[in-house]
Order: sequence, then C-alpha cells, then structure tokens
Amino acid sequence: MVPDIARGMTRGRMFRALLGAAALAFHALSFAGEVAVSVAMELELQAFVSNPAGSGRHDDNFAVSLEPDFRGDFDDGNTLWRFVPFGRWDSRDPERRHGDIREMYLLHVMDDWEFLAGVSKVFWGVAESRHLVDIINQTDHLEGIDGEDKLGQPMLSVGRSFGQSTLTFYVLPGFRERAFLSADSPLSLPFAVSDDPLYESGKGRDHMDFAVRFSGYRDVLDYGVSWFRGTSREAGFVPGMDGRLRPFYPQIEQFGLDLQITTESWLWKFEAIRRTFGHRAAGDDFTAAVGGFEYSFYGLRDGLFDLGLLAELHYDSRDDSGTILFQDDVFLGMRFGFTDVEGTEILAGTVIDLKDGSQSLRVEGSRRMFNNARLGLEAQSFFNVDPGNASYGLRNSDYALLSLKWYF
Amino acid sequence: MIMKKFWCLCLAVAALPAGFAAFGQTPEERGLEIAIAMDERDSGWRYFSADMEMILRNRAGRESRRRITNRQFEVDGDGDKSLSLFREPRDVAGTAMLTFAHGLEPDDQWLYLPAIKRVKRISTRNKSGPFMGSEIAYEDIGSPEVKKYSYRYLGDEPCGQYECYKLERHPQYEGSGYTRHISWVDKAEYRLIRIEFYDRKDALLKTMDFIGYNEYPGGYWRADRFEVTNHQTGKSTTLLWRNYDFETELHEKDFNHNALKRLR
Repeated sequence: MVPDIARGMTRGRMFRALLGAAALAFHALSFAGEVAVSVAMELELQAFVSNPAGSGRHDDNFAVSLEPDFRGDFDDGNTLWRFVPFGRWDSRDPERRHGDIREMYLLHVMDDWEFLAGVSKVFWGVAESRHLVDIINQTDHLEGIDGEDKLGQPMLSVGRSFGQSTLTFYVLPGFRERAFLSADSPLSLPFAVSDDPLYESGKGRDHMDFAVRFSGYRDVLDYGVSWFRGTSREAGFVPGMDGRLRPFYPQIEQFGLDLQITTESWLWKFEAIRRTFGHRAAGDDFTAAVGGFEYSFYGLRDGLFDLGLLAELHYDSRDDSGTILFQDDVFLGMRFGFTDVEGTEILAGTVIDLKDGSQSLRVEGSRRMFNNARLGLEAQSFFNVDPGNASYGLRNSDYALLSLKWYF
Repeated sequence: MIMKKFWCLCLAVAALPAGFAAFGQTPEERGLEIAIAMDERDSGWRYFSADMEMILRNRAGRESRRRITNRQFEVDGDGDKSLSLFREPRDVAGTAMLTFAHGLEPDDQWLYLPAIKRVKRISTRNKSGPFMGSEIAYEDIGSPEVKKYSYRYLGDEPCGQYECYKLERHPQYEGSGYTRHISWVDKAEYRLIRIEFYDRKDALLKTMDFIGYNEYPGGYWRADRFEVTNHQTGKSTTLLWRNYDFETELHEKDFNHNALKRLR
C-alpha cells in the first residue's frame, strides 16, 4: 500500500519541505496540550447487478477503511493543528488498496486573519448534483463516483475576514493526480489508463497553482467569486505508447461564481464557471453552469418526515455529449428527512440527458445504529443509455452498496 | 414599521407609573409588562458558553443521548448570535451550526458539514420540527425576544416552592406548532418555572419544567435541567446544562463562517 501522497509527489520539493516542516511541528505538538482523537472505521459491501456475461469484470467486492482524526491546539487556542490519515483495503481492486493524507495542517488565527500551512480540503459551491466551482482538491474517484470524496491538497492559504465576507488567497504547490479504478472494475473508464500522466507544464506535477476566493452573504444572498490558475484537476486523455491512454493535465485559468438565495422554504442555487486554456491544442475554452432550487415541506404525515424537492439544470457550452456527463441535463431529486431518533435520511435522484434521453438513477439512504454507527445503502442504475453518451461505459454498472461506519 | 410601533408601545407601558398601571391595565398590558420585566432581568450578559446533554426517552423508556456545546452572543436591538457544535451522537460529531436570530423576521442559519468541509445556508422555516429527534422543537430553543409573542396575564399562582405569575403567550411568528403556551414565572427573580404547550388544535401537547436554578456572575439565573414531557406520545426529553461560563470573553466577529469551520 503506497500512500498516494508519496507516490504522486515525491518530486515536489516545495511539498516535501512543507511536509517536513509539518511533521516536525506535529512531533513537537504531541508533547504540548491535549490531543483529541476520533476514529472512523467503515465496512463496505458492493454488489454489481447487471454484468455483461463473459466481460471478465468482477461482480462484488468487500472493502474496509480507517480514518483516524487527531487534533489539538496551543497558544491559547490561536493555533490549531490537525492530522487525518486515511487507508482503504479492497478485496478485489488493487487500485483501491490505497492510503492518503486527508488533512495535516497548522492553522493560525490572528484577529481577522487566518493562516494555514499543510495538507487540507477546501469546498466551494452550493449545487447538489454537480460541484462545478469546487476546484482546489483532486476528486478521489476510488472512494465513490459521486465526486464528494477528495484527496488532501498541499497548500498555503491566507484569509482575511471582513465581518460578512472573507477574502482568501491560496498557493498550491504539488499537484495530486487523479486516481483511476482498475480496468476490470465495473465502474472504471471503458479503456485502460496509463499510470504515466502527461502535463502541459514543463514543471509537471511541481507546477505552482494559485487561487483566490471572495465569499460572503448579505441578507438572503450567499455569494462566492473565485479564480484559479494552474493544472487542471480534470484529465483529458491522449494515446500512449503501450496502447493505453495517458491522462493529460492541461494548464487552465478558471473563473467561478456561486450564488444562493434562501427564503422561507426555498433555496435557489446557481454556479457557473468559465475555463480558458493557454493553448488551443490543450482544450477549447468553455462555459458551464448549473442552477436550480430545493423546496422543502416540513412535518408531513403528522410530523413523521420532511420532504425536499430538488431540481437542477446543467449547461455546458462544449457541444460534445460523448465526453461530458453534464452537458445538457436535468437533475430531479427528493430528499426525505425523518424526524426519528435514528436520523434516517433518504435522497433519491435522477439525471436525464435532455438531448438523447440517457438516464441515471441514484438512491442513498442512511440511519444511525448502535448509537455510534451509521448504516448506509446506496444504489445506482443507468438506463436508456445512448451509445453517444458519456455514461455509455457505465451502462452495465448498476450496483448496490451497503456500508456500516463506526465512529469511536 | 410594525416593529417600531411595537417598541413605542413598550416604552409607553414601561413608562406608566406602577400605581396607575395596577388599576388601568388590561390583562394583555399586564402580560406584556411581565414579559418586558423578564427580558430586562435577562439582558446585558453579552456572551456565555455552556455544554448541553440531551437524553431522549421513548415510550418504552429506551434512551439515546446527544451532546452539544453552545456559544451565545447578545445583540442589542436584534436576536442573539449563536454557535453550536454537535459532539454526540458520534456520527454527527463536528457538525456545527451558526444562527443569527431576528425575532419576527426569519433567522439566518448556516450548517457546517465536516466530512466534506462544506458550509451550507439552510432554511429556518421549520420552526415546529423536532430538534435532533427530541421532544424539543426548534422554536423552543430560539432566541427569546419579547416581540415574538403577544401576552395575557392570567393571575398569580403558587408553583412548587415559588410564588408565580401565570402568563399566556401567543406566537406572533409564522410557522409555529402552537396556538399558545401557558408559563409560570416566579415573582422574585422572573425565572421561567414551567411552560405548557398547546398544539394547533389547542390540545395540551407537552410540559417543560425548569429545575435547579443557579445564579451566575452578573445576577443571571440558569436552570441546569429542563424536563420535557410529551403528553400525546408518552416520550420525554431531559436537557442537562453544564459548564455555564459567562466570564470567558467571546467576540461578535467570531460568530462567522470561519469560526464555524474551526470549532472544537
């Protein structure tokens, strides 16, 4: 089990220096102050229902993951530190036997200023069905295909708070490669991926990326404006020498905007990005957006549950539904929040391609068990998938996932 | 506009000479007067923090627990600001909530989800829903503003070891699950001793008893135990308050999104 962070970035001098400094600091810290420790352990059973006969793809797997979380503070609570390693073992896919450092940082707070150095996660955005403006962290596709799992990103950040708004600058040394599932996993891409990526920048994964975000709220409006310049987190593919496709990471510049209006039972959400490429050969400039609402009914059936109705529309200026999942699609969803002691939740949603009718359906549910564990069930199915649709490779990847996560 | 009128009325009532008030007052005026006195008694604390433990019991007596750390900041002329950090159950540990209360206007509220490090603005329309599966509704633990209710004084009554005012309150904000509450307030220190809640059909829904009052620096009283009994379902919830701290200084500017993300 090679930690991704070591595999992906041994050449990053900046990152190594950061890591070293952080390791020293953590060593010193372990002798100072109280350390809070919590551990999450998850067992996962995944079953694939519709496997094409003779495809050679496996049909079920078992996985276990461990995520301890250490945190503490000193200097009167003005300096905080956190260390969150993560490891997973998978019964079938060697790519999913991996480790990562999700968080390892020092955070110093001084009046209205916040300084962070180390590995961390940052989330931007408001939409539910696609995280468009969110760009700091690489998505960890090995954990799940919903894009909610992220790899830790080495960073230096400085934030200044102005009461109802915050301005934050990020320096991001050290790029995290996207990890891909083994070719025999039903959820993998429909082609073999080389583990030798290609970068547009001559500095490769050592390219220094920058980002700025200004966010805040005024009355019913929450807003965020962001800018990023550096290595694209999304990979393109180019043919490799060995017949496999090589991930290609171009240099991009991206502006992002996210807005939410919250009134009574309505949440109105909008996200948009404009991405430009340094060289036309690396990619075509494009604009993408997602917008929609969530409306909630409270206390239905004598207070048994709350029901949220969600709808989001997707737009992408690239006219290529073959490679872009959310090109001209609509997402419709229902969120059930039960008022029971176990905190039972169900989210069911479907994404429909408005051009070719390709559809995916996803249901996620969870409830508390044994007071300190959560039982989860997730199922996903694709149907009517058009051969020209980006999800065509997943058409036979219907699965159900049962998980139990303990918190100690 | 309505708010301004209301405050004019408050000032007028407060300015009435005590002797005159006792004779010429309607039960509504007397009720408002008591509510204002309660509010004044509990104003000026500026900030405090406390740990809350909730014990939820179903009809069969099965228990489950919740633990939350609260920080509160008093805002003049508006509702309070609060930061709540959830500690138990463990599957929601680290989740935090930032609330800016606004009296009759909808509150502003943000939820921090630690697993994906996302801060989400959420709707505060759900006033009558249960808080974390307990017998306590969101509206029961909101910032107590005078203008959130209309009042009626029902008389004097002994309540346990105290001599109490009996006061009826009608919610004036939208989305309440109650037609009215009847509360007992002790005459000496204006502390809530008991509240009876009546549902939308005006049937007795639940009783909340405030037990074990302690006086904190500045002369502020806080009960260390609330007992809530739902008379319609047989379920009950106990709230235990610990580590009340009115002295460690909190700053208003720390009740923001950044603080929400680094609470511990």
